[in-house]
This record gives sequence, structure tokens and C-alpha cells, in this order.
Amino acid sequence: MRPKQIDRIMAEVKSFPGMPGAAAKLLTLSNNSDADASQVEEILRYDPGLTANILRLTNSAYFGLPSKVGSVKQAVVLLGWKRVIQLVIFSCVNALMDKSVAGYDLPPGELRRHSIAVSVAAEDLVKELKIMAPPEIFTAALLHDLGKLVLGGFVKDEMEKIESIASQGVPFEAAEHMVLGTDHAEIGAQILKNWSFPSEIVSAVRWHHAPDAADETNMLIDIVHVANVLSLMIGIGVGREGLQHEPSPLVTKRLGLNITDLEKVASRTLQWVNEMSDVFVND
Amino acid sequence: MRYVVVVADMKVGKNGDMLVTHALGSCLGLMVYDPEAQVGGLLHAMLPLSRINPEKAAANPFMFVDTGVPELFKKVYDLGGQKKRMIAKAAGCGRPLGNDELFKIGERNYTVLKKLLWKNNILLDAEDVGGAASRTVHFDLSTGQIIISSNGVKRDL
Repeated sequence: MRPKQIDRIMAEVKSFPGMPGAAAKLLTLSNNSDADASQVEEILRYDPGLTANILRLTNSAYFGLPSKVGSVKQAVVLLGWKRVIQLVIFSCVNALMDKSVAGYDLPPGELRRHSIAVSVAAEDLVKELKIMAPPEIFTAALLHDLGKLVLGGFVKDEMEKIESIASQGVPFEAAEHMVLGTDHAEIGAQILKNWSFPSEIVSAVRWHHAPDAADETNMLIDIVHVANVLSLMIGIGVGREGLQHEPSPLVTKRLGLNITDLEKVASRTLQWVNEMSDVFVND
Repeated sequence: MRYVVVVADMKVGKNGDMLVTHALGSCLGLMVYDPEAQVGGLLHAMLPLSRINPEKAAANPFMFVDTGVPELFKKVYDLGGQKKRMIAKAAGCGRPLGNDELFKIGERNYTVLKKLLWKNNILLDAEDVGGAASRTVHFDLSTGQIIISSNGVKRDL
């Protein structure tokens, strides 16, 4: 049974939508240090819907700009083009993340809320801990659960088996792996690899539940790992898997994280999630 | 009426109302009910102590157990509830696997609740707390019945 099922999962990964053109082009641009605002604007010129979403996100309270921004050019000047590229990716995957997710029992919009929560919590942890982290942290956090979109249906079909393993204290994603031969972290990483995303983002997604198993340690993996557990704890995107995940003590030690840091970040996360989710409510 | 209580939120109501809260992870769900007046309320608090972020607590006392619980009781008293008749039940306060103190926000929520109630001579009549499962609460204010749903299983609290 297993080989057949894993083949079906991999076929779905293959047929998963490709990265939308604008985001793919911008991603290439982001590897080019000579890129400037006019190039970003040129790529977005032919997609007014995308541009509108980017401006709405730019103007959300999270970015704290003093006045309303009316053009992509202005957004690039004020936020920097790396940030604007993140918002392009965000807008592009938004339609995918809007759906309900079977298996994990997430109602429509909840995967998006969870993804936003992990992104803002991740950036806030970096600030609170006064550490340096690459700007890719926002996108890595945003896309960490992408694999659930493919794996959800399979998880649903095998829920009884997965839950009977998880009920013995096995982390949910490990139970997924035992039953399905893969898990949502691995699938998400594979999709991002197919989308030609930078390897740091791919590995942060790949190891977000199991940072100790990664063959490297890096800030991106560590922060996304903690931000994910925290977001689930405060009930944002916590579905069938519940809190059935094990935070790594090695990671929290490496980060020098304490209870106050964690609770402060939790107290600030919710409002940003609400504000950023509202951007897409009328779509 | 059916009211949904989101994270860091509280709703009160009377006979005929249903209070619902979803996705209790580490958060505390506290339900109080006066069966004679048929009034009650549900609090969904995220963190134990408001001193972590006094600004947020001023804007929204329901984010924290120490500021949310007194406010919940006050609002139910305003509707005609009386302390001597009040039934209090708790749900949630879960935690991830492992034994890392950092992630015991749920246990700290529960401890702060118990201290507050003890100081005010109130006992919990029932509780469904701890563990790694997420919980949903349906609280029927006509009867005081509380149903906890978790991983597809429903039970009375």
C-alpha cells in the first residue's frame, strides 16, 4: 500500500501550481544586488490586482509607515525592495492559503492566519532577542506549512492510523511520516525547491518541526521552529494536530530564549495577524 | 444568539444564547454560569500575567488571565449573576510535547487562574485542562451545559 500512496503524494506535488510569474521574476531579481525600484515596478505593471494587494499590505499597521503609500515605487523606497518582494510572494500564495485544509481541520483562512502569525512572531523574536537574521525569515515563516495543502487529503484518509501513533506521545509530523512515508515539512520543502526558492528558505521549511535533525544549524530554522510552536499555542491555526509537536531545547538554548521574551512576542502577535489578515478579507 | 469568542476575547449572555470558542491551545477557556439567573460568560485568555505588556492589557484585558478573569465575573454580575450561585469551569491550558519550561504557558495560565479563584473563595466545578490536543467549547446559556470537542470527540464538562 505504501509505495502506491507515496507515488500519489509525489504526483500531487508535481502537479501543484507553479510559482506565479511575477513572483518568480522578482525572486530572480532579489538575487541581483543591482536591482532597483523601477525594475520591480516594471514587473508588476501588468498585474493591477497584485499591485493593489501589495499596496494594501504595505499600508498595514505592521510596517508602521507614517503616511499612506500609493505606488510600488514609493513602497520600494520606504520598505526596501527585499520587503516588497516578500509582499509579492505573500500576495501570490495568498489564494492558495485561503482554502480550508482537510486532515488538519483548518477552516478557510486559518492556514493564512497561521502563516502570518509565524511570520510576524518570527520577526518579532529576532527583534526581542536582538539577534541578526536574514530578511528571508519572513518568507520562510510564511511558507513553512505549504506542504499541508498537498498532504491534507492523505492525512485525512489515514487519520485513524496517524492519531493512534500520535496518541502514544509521538509528534504529529513524525506520525505522518510513519504512516505516509513523508510529512508536510518535507512536502513543503519539495514544492519550494520546485519553485527554485533559495536553499535557506527550503531548509527552514524542511526542518521547522525537527531542527535537531537538520545537518546544519541556522537562525532561520531555529526562529521558524519557535515561532511556529508559539503560534499554535496561542491558538492561531491549531487544528487536528493540536500542540502535538516537541519544541527543541537545543534551539531555545542557542537562541538564549526566556519565558518573558516568548510571552512578550505572543502578546504582540495577535493584533498584527488580525490587521494583516483583514487586508485580504474583501477579496 | 450565538456568539463566537475569539482569542483574547470575552462574551457574556443569557438564556437562549450560545457562546462558542475554538482552538484553545495553551489559552485558558473559563466559563462561569449562574443557573438561577441563567446568565453566564466565556473568557478566552492567552497569557497569564498582564505585567508582560501593560499597554495591551489596558487596551484588551481579556488577553491576560489576571485582568480577564475579574472582568468576566464583573460582566456576569452586571447581568444579574450572583457570586454565591456561580459555577466556574475551565478548559484548555494545553502544552506541546517535551518538558521545556519555556513552553508551559498553559500551565502558568492555569496556576494564575487557581490563585485568583482561591483568593476569591471560588472553586472550579469542573475542568478539562492540559495535554496537547486543541479544544473547542460550546456553552449553552439556557441550561449551563458545556460541550468540549477535541479531535472529533465530544464530551460534557
